[in-house]
Amino acid sequence: MLDERPSMPVTVGPSTSGPLHNFVQKLGEPRVLGWIAVASVLIVWEVIVVAAHLNPIYLPSPSHILVALVTMFKTGGLLSDLLATLGRIFGGFAIALVVGTLLGIWMATSQRVSAIADNFIAALYPLPKVTLIPLLIIWLGTGGPFMLTISALGAIFPIVINTVLGIRQCDPGLVLAARDLEASNRQVIRMVLLPSAIPSIFAGVRLGIGVSIILVVAAEMVVGKVGLGARLYLAGQILETEQVFAVLIVLAILGVAVTKAQDLIDDWLSQWRLS
Amino acid sequence: MGMGVAIECDGVSLTYSAKSGAPVEALQRVSFRIHPRRVTAVIGPSGCGKSTLLQIVRGLLAPSAGRIRFIDAQSGGAAATKPRMATVWQNFNLFPWRTVVENVGFGLEVGGTQRSERVERSRRSLMQVDLAGFENKYPRQLSGGMRQRVGLARALVMEPEVLLLDEPFGALDAQTRLILQEQLARLVEKSGTTAVLVTHSIEEAILLADTILVMTARPGRIAAEIRVELPRPRSMTTTRLSGYSSLFDQIYGLLRDEVVKAMTIETESA
Repeated sequence: MLDERPSMPVTVGPSTSGPLHNFVQKLGEPRVLGWIAVASVLIVWEVIVVAAHLNPIYLPSPSHILVALVTMFKTGGLLSDLLATLGRIFGGFAIALVVGTLLGIWMATSQRVSAIADNFIAALYPLPKVTLIPLLIIWLGTGGPFMLTISALGAIFPIVINTVLGIRQCDPGLVLAARDLEASNRQVIRMVLLPSAIPSIFAGVRLGIGVSIILVVAAEMVVGKVGLGARLYLAGQILETEQVFAVLIVLAILGVAVTKAQDLIDDWLSQWRLS
Repeated sequence: MGMGVAIECDGVSLTYSAKSGAPVEALQRVSFRIHPRRVTAVIGPSGCGKSTLLQIVRGLLAPSAGRIRFIDAQSGGAAATKPRMATVWQNFNLFPWRTVVENVGFGLEVGGTQRSERVERSRRSLMQVDLAGFENKYPRQLSGGMRQRVGLARALVMEPEVLLLDEPFGALDAQTRLILQEQLARLVEKSGTTAVLVTHSIEEAILLADTILVMTARPGRIAAEIRVELPRPRSMTTTRLSGYSSLFDQIYGLLRDEVVKAMTIETESA
């Protein structure tokens, strides 16, 4: 992108090569600028809260939030909440990945299966999945099976749909080449259709895991006893605003970590794409 | 390998439904014989069904009528088993997520060959097409000519008794095409396989083939069978022989009307 180029000094003179100049130039780099912006907001926030004597129930200062966060991790059991939430998100997501990919392959390679599944997916996909929470609680209770189901439900639709798309977009020439080399139907699926659909499946994974995070946290807020969502809701109920912010920070970091991990996988997947 | 495999194409027709539902006759009672351990070129206007015919010979497509028979040249009777066959494709059809050596080894992997033997045989096949040292590249890192040599190595590693070439140089520039034609001619001669070459280039057909089948516009039929008696090895100097130009004119004369007909068909269906 054009704006990511380091800006070039316009004038040339002795003052433009000193360490101060280098420092100023570094400040202008987009990455550095981004962090400076975050730091500035935090400082302004802190100053306003302290100077205006704001009630911490409405807006606690960043330094107090940080203290609350550390305390919650050290003695408040926030780590076990985080692990519970992560387990629910990725457990359900793993189920969705396996079931969704298999169902997608099945649909893409059989017109009958596709015809049967299409209507169900058309009805369920646009439905906001949070609306299924009451029904699932009636059926499954509020324990582990419920949490895994709601998490899997969030991720499975984008994964199925993208698997079907990816396989249907596979170059028919590659299938012909594989069959020419005596590949069986099973081998065509495993060695040609599935690898060629992997970038598309991963696009579904990206969408799916986001929905899983939302649903698990939402479900925890409604019925959870442990988990980040439960912790968030409880802290709100007793007006522990510092703890509310602390949980939000953990959730934000979780989101960033997932996005970064996906970027890394994306780089690795680029070998699948033709120039 | 014995005396090779002959192929008999007996009254093969193919009719399929177009998107509108109307039946389209692609091939009409095509009959010919492919001689063992010889190169047969199939030439015709675009859309005449010559690539389709190749897929029918390979068994990837079932004809609406007629049949393909494989003859064991030694006994003169029907071959006991289907011969080993492999195809080289116009758009290469390499697997982009596999390295060069993994592409070449695909057929062996399908057949259950152990990894070490697979790699060893793939390497040898790559050496035959002068691609040693490119084993771990991905197809996208190679030029068109190199990609097609990978395609050729992937077919040759199967030690095919019948090698099918579907416009193998159609996507390449003129210079690359010349060099690959010579390389292919040498490899086919050495391996002694029966080869079928689909092409729209008269020059390519004459330089590579022992027999040329000229096809008509759609529905494709065989218009003529022409023997090429020019001395081997053939190269660009062959094109200066008088025998070459008279062959060229003969084939061009047969093709010209068919190409015009094919263009009319295209205009009508457009």
